[in-house]
Amino acid sequence: MSDLTHDRAFLAEETRRYHHFITLALWLAVITGAEIVLIFLPVPMAVVLSVLILLSVGKFFAVTLWFMHLIYDKRLLFWIFLSALVLALATFTALIALLNPAAVDTKWFS
Amino acid sequence: MSEAAAHDAPTSTGIEHKKLIMWLFLASDCMFFGTLISTHLLYRKLYPTGFTDAEGHQRFIQNLFNIELTSFSTFILLMSSFLMALAVSAMHKGQIKSFRRNVLGVIFFGLIFLGCQVFEFTHFYHQGLTIQNSVLGSTFYVLTGTHGTHVAIGVLWLILLYFYSFSGKLQGHVAALDVEVAGLYWHFVDIVWIIIFTAVYLVEYLGPNGFWGSGLPPVIK
Amino acid sequence: MSHDSHHAPVASKLELAPERSDLGLYRPDRATGWVDWLTTVDHKKIGILYGAFAMFYFLVGGVEALAIRTQLARPDNTLITARMYNQLFTMHGTTMIFLGVMPLSAGFFNFLVPLQIGARDVAFPRLNAFSLWTFVFGAFVLNASWLFEFGHLAGWFNQFEWHKNLIYTDFAPANGWFSYAPLSGTIGQADQALHSPRFTGVGTDFWIIGIQILGIASLAASFNFICTIVNMRAKGMTMMRLPVFTWMTLVTAILIILAFPAITVALIELMFDRQFGANFFNPSAGGQPILWQHLFWIFGHPEVYILVLPAMGIVSEILPTFTGRPLFGYPIIVFSGCVIGFLGFAVWSHHMFTTGLGPVPTAAFSLLTMAIAVPTGVKIFNWMGTIWGGRVRFTPPMVLSLGFIWMFMCGGFSGVMHSSAPADAQQQDTYFVIAHFHYVLLGGVLLGLMAGLYFWFPKIFGRMPNEKVAYLASGLVIIGFNLAFGPMHYLGLAGMPRRTHTYHAGNGWETWNLVATVGAYILGIGVATAFINLVWTAFKGRKVESDPWDGRTLEWSLPSPVPEYNFAQSPVIGARDAFSEHKYGDLRLIYEKDGGPSGVHMPSQSWMPLLASAGFLFIGFGMPMMSMGIPYAGWLVITGLVVLIAGIWLWALEGPGGYMLTTPTNTAPANQPSASLSR
Repeated sequence: MSDLTHDRAFLAEETRRYHHFITLALWLAVITGAEIVLIFLPVPMAVVLSVLILLSVGKFFAVTLWFMHLIYDKRLLFWIFLSALVLALATFTALIALLNPAAVDTKWFS
Repeated sequence: MSEAAAHDAPTSTGIEHKKLIMWLFLASDCMFFGTLISTHLLYRKLYPTGFTDAEGHQRFIQNLFNIELTSFSTFILLMSSFLMALAVSAMHKGQIKSFRRNVLGVIFFGLIFLGCQVFEFTHFYHQGLTIQNSVLGSTFYVLTGTHGTHVAIGVLWLILLYFYSFSGKLQGHVAALDVEVAGLYWHFVDIVWIIIFTAVYLVEYLGPNGFWGSGLPPVIK
Repeated sequence: MSHDSHHAPVASKLELAPERSDLGLYRPDRATGWVDWLTTVDHKKIGILYGAFAMFYFLVGGVEALAIRTQLARPDNTLITARMYNQLFTMHGTTMIFLGVMPLSAGFFNFLVPLQIGARDVAFPRLNAFSLWTFVFGAFVLNASWLFEFGHLAGWFNQFEWHKNLIYTDFAPANGWFSYAPLSGTIGQADQALHSPRFTGVGTDFWIIGIQILGIASLAASFNFICTIVNMRAKGMTMMRLPVFTWMTLVTAILIILAFPAITVALIELMFDRQFGANFFNPSAGGQPILWQHLFWIFGHPEVYILVLPAMGIVSEILPTFTGRPLFGYPIIVFSGCVIGFLGFAVWSHHMFTTGLGPVPTAAFSLLTMAIAVPTGVKIFNWMGTIWGGRVRFTPPMVLSLGFIWMFMCGGFSGVMHSSAPADAQQQDTYFVIAHFHYVLLGGVLLGLMAGLYFWFPKIFGRMPNEKVAYLASGLVIIGFNLAFGPMHYLGLAGMPRRTHTYHAGNGWETWNLVATVGAYILGIGVATAFINLVWTAFKGRKVESDPWDGRTLEWSLPSPVPEYNFAQSPVIGARDAFSEHKYGDLRLIYEKDGGPSGVHMPSQSWMPLLASAGFLFIGFGMPMMSMGIPYAGWLVITGLVVLIAGIWLWALEGPGGYMLTTPTNTAPANQPSASLSR
């Protein structure tokens, strides 16, 4: 215990992180609010969708980098997670593209 | 609460075993939720028109969704993630009381989220969307239900940690790591919901017909 | 959390004082006999248990295969009914893949990886035990379906109400190892009890829950092994000094953690269809059965590499040992293994060419599939490069490894033929496909694993298998296997469809089917000979020294059988193949000053992994019994969940424990001056 509490640099670092967490929580709240307003604005769908995707990706990585400490931790953890994420994204984009209404019969079922 | 070999020798990479294994689990869980979310999305793509209820009426998913409720539970989950980050930070500093306070907040928020989901499910069920009457019902309930199960497991884990903290054994490096790993799991459940919130809920409100083009304007309740 | 420094180091765990865990229960550390095996956390014992169960299920799957071949020996045979035939080929495939090959590979991972990287155990010893017992219970649940099937055939259930309501009565799985929907799923509307009409009986439910449990076991083991390999390497053991077998274990484990989630979700969805009337794959509600094919093969194709990469790793260890040369192109072999693993995720639709994917996806998946031949070919050339100019010693493992290269290559050639979509359209669902994947899985995986068994048995048990019997078994296996599956290429191209319980005379298939059956029996005798030889060796074989093959990797520097603490002093590695370099050249292996009288830390044994896994037994029987309509079966599932959660909770609360074990000092292998280089 003592090695933890008496390390001043460690405490300073933890305090710095603490302030990052608070700032980030505020940002997350603001972004989520903006998303909800955004979907009701009379803006072309392509724009809204792009902004929505950008905002969720932003929130996603903000949480992984700061709340989940990836930005403070060893780089390897970030690469493990990112490669799985990219693989999942690629696989399931391909899957959704493969199953399209032109290729599968959806008409006969009412 | 740790494996014997886990905290004796320094590791080759400098990353603790438990933290590494949790990240590997989360990497695996990316594929898990990827499969579930893509199942929902590809069926939305194939069948954009919603479902037919017990009376034979064509129903649209926007009529069921309550964006205020979902936004509220999303906000709650994001804030629980914030409190979890604070709980981990407190544990790093050895502040057990601050840890307990924050983790209690996380548990409380997690339970609110689960409550919202139970309310949502019952509401949808009474509106006529069941797991049996459409593909939409199957994919929606199984996707959000699986996420809910993850939240419930997280809540159970944190409750056990909370009570364990009164035994006096939750202290030092090992305990800080245990809490951090629980935190990683909790944050991951949160980021999955960030994706679900956008991909399952918000896109249905885009443009006059929703992203998938269900042919019905969004209803603002 | 206790660090148990209050214990003085002991020379044997039998000298330990009784110790209570944080729960207040006595730890089973001093156990001997079967309690020791049930509570062990020693990776070597867990590896042996994996191997023993895998060999048992190899025999079970082999008997099923011989029943299939007996039925097909002559045309219009009536020995086995179509219904039983469906169950036999389904259980044969499932057993061989999930209960034979994967656990035997897992046995090798367990036994070898910590030894090869210079570690004293895996990263999470109790999680390792949990993986083992979860596999054992999953395998039991899957095969218990046979008990229900025999009960049904014997008429035991006729008096029960639930049995009268069953429409389909196949109790063992009967829908092929990939369980295609809608055959495995439902059709029409669910009734009040949430049961949709189905095409198959409760065998499918056994299959679903069995594979789900086995998947959990594989996932838990893989997390553990990645962690171990990445994090527990001895000093100096950099990633590019890892033995190739360990590298392939790492790639396999990564494939498992990324591929299994797809099947986990697909099984959940299929389970919801069957148990709760959901519509994921139900065509009458708009569900797309083709989605099952996609999800299954997103898992299923990486699974093929999960099966074959460990065997490739084994062969990459054996060839250098018996040619006296380092592995040719080590970095390229490692890189090729990684590329094969990565490409494995990008080719799943080549199993679905005939479903009509459209020209662009078909062309893309066709090209990607052909691309896999490149890294595979690179490996084969590297193995040949290793043998080239070497002093080859034709020991049984070497003979089997050479057989592996040759037979696996044949399977690879027919694989390249499949990658061309027009050709595949002709070969789909014929015996040509059977020939292809048996050449890969028997000629490749089985020969590789048998080579591994003969190679490492002297290390595992300290006893040498009888060489003459080993040569005989190897010859029988290679000859029998070629007789059995070679003709199937012809049968397939001549149009014989797979998965049909019989065929009519007059198609020109009679002769080759008979030859295949004779070959299958020779193969069966060969495998049985090898297994009897190995089991006999484990108990009665000739005792040998620690390094009978003149091995290259770290495990050969240890006594045989390996002591429970593995390394009396932790090794520090100075080169790739450090042990071999050390024996015949420079001083490449030094030892830290740990261990000795101050002891090494050993993890405590525990009942909790077994207890937690036992929950799966209840879940595994509860789900199919729910499907049968047996009253209150749902409570069995709930009981299982409670046992599982309670087991994990008690596991967390009991604390890791541990004790100190003294080790002998100065056990370092001698560094021989280069004068003794002549071998």
